[in-house]
Amino acid sequence: MAGLVQNIPLIGAEIPWLRQLREAGIRAFENSGIPTAKTEAWKYTKPRDLNANDYIMDSRGETVTPGHFSLPFDGYRIHFENGIFDPEQTELPQGVEVLPLAEALLLRGETRGYLGRLVDLKRHPFAALNTGYLNEGVFIRVEKNVDLKKPLILINHTDSCGRNLFFNLRHLLILEEGASAEFVEIYHYGGEVKSRYFANIVTEAFLAPKARLQHYKYQAEAFKANHIALTAVDIETAAEYQAFTLQKGANIARNETRVSLRREQARAEVNAAYLMNGWATIDTTTDIEHLAPCTFSDQLVKGVVGGDAKGVFQGKIHIAPHAVKTGGRQLHKALLLSDTAEIDVKPELEIFADDVKCSHGAASGELDEEALFYMRSRGIGGEEARRLLIDAYLEDVIAKVPDPRIRAWFEELK
Amino acid sequence: MNKSSHTQPQVIDESGDKYKYGFVTAIEADTAPKGLNPDIIRFISAKKGEPDWLLEWRLKALEFWQGMTEPAWAKLSYDKIGYQDLYYYSAPRQKAAPKSLDEVDPELLSTYEKLGIPLKEQEMLAGVVAVDAVFDSVSVATTYRARLAEQGIIFCSISEAVKEHPDLVKQYLGSVVPYTDNFFACLNSAVFTDGSFVYIPKGVRCPMELSTYFRINAKNTGQFERTLIIADEGSYVSYLEGCTAPQRDENQLHAAIVEIVVLKDAEVKYSTVQNWYPGDKDGKGGVYNFVTKRAACRGANAKISWTQVETGSAVTWKYPSCVLQGDNSSGEFYSVAITNNRQQADTGTKMIHIGKNTTSKIISKGISAGFSNQTYRGLVKVAPGACGVRNYSQCDSLLIGENCGSHTVPYIENRNKTARIEHEATTSKISDEQLFYCLQRGISEEEAVSLIVNGFCKEVMQHLPLEFAIEAAKLINISLEGSVG
Repeated sequence: MAGLVQNIPLIGAEIPWLRQLREAGIRAFENSGIPTAKTEAWKYTKPRDLNANDYIMDSRGETVTPGHFSLPFDGYRIHFENGIFDPEQTELPQGVEVLPLAEALLLRGETRGYLGRLVDLKRHPFAALNTGYLNEGVFIRVEKNVDLKKPLILINHTDSCGRNLFFNLRHLLILEEGASAEFVEIYHYGGEVKSRYFANIVTEAFLAPKARLQHYKYQAEAFKANHIALTAVDIETAAEYQAFTLQKGANIARNETRVSLRREQARAEVNAAYLMNGWATIDTTTDIEHLAPCTFSDQLVKGVVGGDAKGVFQGKIHIAPHAVKTGGRQLHKALLLSDTAEIDVKPELEIFADDVKCSHGAASGELDEEALFYMRSRGIGGEEARRLLIDAYLEDVIAKVPDPRIRAWFEELK
Repeated sequence: MNKSSHTQPQVIDESGDKYKYGFVTAIEADTAPKGLNPDIIRFISAKKGEPDWLLEWRLKALEFWQGMTEPAWAKLSYDKIGYQDLYYYSAPRQKAAPKSLDEVDPELLSTYEKLGIPLKEQEMLAGVVAVDAVFDSVSVATTYRARLAEQGIIFCSISEAVKEHPDLVKQYLGSVVPYTDNFFACLNSAVFTDGSFVYIPKGVRCPMELSTYFRINAKNTGQFERTLIIADEGSYVSYLEGCTAPQRDENQLHAAIVEIVVLKDAEVKYSTVQNWYPGDKDGKGGVYNFVTKRAACRGANAKISWTQVETGSAVTWKYPSCVLQGDNSSGEFYSVAITNNRQQADTGTKMIHIGKNTTSKIISKGISAGFSNQTYRGLVKVAPGACGVRNYSQCDSLLIGENCGSHTVPYIENRNKTARIEHEATTSKISDEQLFYCLQRGISEEEAVSLIVNGFCKEVMQHLPLEFAIEAAKLINISLEGSVG
């Protein structure tokens, strides 16, 4: 485990609150350790490779060729290379602030009031570890009533040159009252595909009343890499959070979303799709807390699992006492393509109020033989027919992406 | 309270219908000293005149148990159980084993009469149900054994079976639930005192519903029943289990095991109505019910069906499971669980699909009222070689009142692409419209709720044998009393 806890230079070590926060993170991680099969929240995803001792945490001063990721739509780009901020001049509109987190820690005192507020260090060992290395990442603030027309695009490009890099990224998003933004996160790699690098990401987002955030994520890490991410979102009165994540890469990938619907009329829509082969484990975990009356959540997660891969879905809807007139919906569907693929699902409803409407559903199965036959009898080849059916399978979840430009992009990616 | 209750004359006494079966029979028990150690196990085994292999098995279980920790994963909170403060053996005092009902302690018989199972009359009149009544830990009387024996059916207490059919017991005991299985099953394996044994021979269709009424008596006695049912090839049996217990303030521990072996083409239907003392309104007292129930479909086309109505116990921890080993075998689980006041229930099922073309169906209805909490916890697992598996699960929860909780935790683990698995769960309250409809037609609120709840549970209740269905419907009404208004 020493491999994950190392002494590396961090900015603002002299700031007491920051030092305390980091120390609390490391302490919590050392107490809980890497989750094992006995840890209920990690029952199906076993982060076994993360025990390695050969992680390199400090990759500063090395030259890497910057990766380029072309996108079919325009936006404000924020670049990271191997988890390190890569300055690029982007002109931002009035009322939006984008800073590297390290800079924000020094210049923006208010980060103190937000950082770590949504992360329970005891429950999330990797988020605790991330807190211990609070340094790199991005700080975004959208001022009151500002409506950002173009998306903010965060791209992390990893080229570990064959070494086992370990990096932590921490993002903090603050949307003030009535603000509206789109945030796109992209994780991809270049160069040596076989490296076992480990990306540990935590995003905290605060949505003030009536704010609206569309959050998109595309995970396409190298096939031996590990990608563990926690997104925690706090939603105030009549604010709305819409998320869609597409996961395609990594050896072990876990995308966990925690949403707190804190005040009335708060809404969240958390959708995801995953598409996998090889030996990968892709985990989608959600935890939606309804803390106030008249809050609504909706989840649709669909996956296609082939090869020896394992798809995991754990979804929880929690309704607090007195959070009446709430609605929580959840649906997970998976398609198994091979005899050795596996799917593990654990949806969970935890309800402490009576006047609610909650439901969850889960289904899994293989490609419809009849549909395949239908197409083949019309002259479509077997492979082509399968391709069409798989495409169609993910169609409805991608169709839920509200922004047409981004929807079209995901259509291409899948 | 609603208006109608004020106009009703107060004729029902304090205890009223709240817990009809709360009384203690004063029968002296032949009790082993408190605590749990190898000597107590030897005492129990000697008392029952058991063979050495069984004693050894018990001792092995005890040793294993001592190295285990009590599970804490269920959504249950209860006072720590002092396992060393319990009596592990108490048997009703008898001169000799009764040969007929006349020799049975009359006080015991009158207890059953209060429960509504007059053994004598049953033997003479009905001839439908054979009752192997368990009072505390020892079978008191087994009726209709002769008639069953004509067809080769064995229906007796497990201690008798150990003596008379040692080969069968030795072959199957612990084969479905090994003593290493879980904390409570392991405890039971070490200290089980009695229970029922059923063997249905090849091709025999059991002519009547077999039934056991369990009673808990004698202060501070944990009940450790062990039931073993073997359905040989092509046979059929329907087994009923019903439970009531005397009202008492101290928590009572109950850790039973039910093992069912279903061979090729056989079918077993197991129905339970559980109505143990749930504790009073403030959650004082009540039975702790930690039960391991499992059926193994060992042969092709075997079928097992669990139906349960759970209304009692302060704490319920129970997951009747189906291990579907034989090809084309099928498992069913129908459950109604009702919790009121401070009751807690963590219950559900496990469907383990191993054989090809195995099917399973889960229908679970949970009703929480008062300050109670209820969890459905289930597992559907499909092994890599199990092609053509079909599973359908439906879990509906109904909440009555704003202080109760209802939780659903289904686990689905699928390792075969040809498996089709569907799971649905909903949680809601009684709709105001339905309630209004009833009230408008002059039905009181309490009656309306019970009407709606009975409708909600209908899908499960119709799978109960007739003998049970009526009792179960009544139980639902009793359980929900005082939850509205």
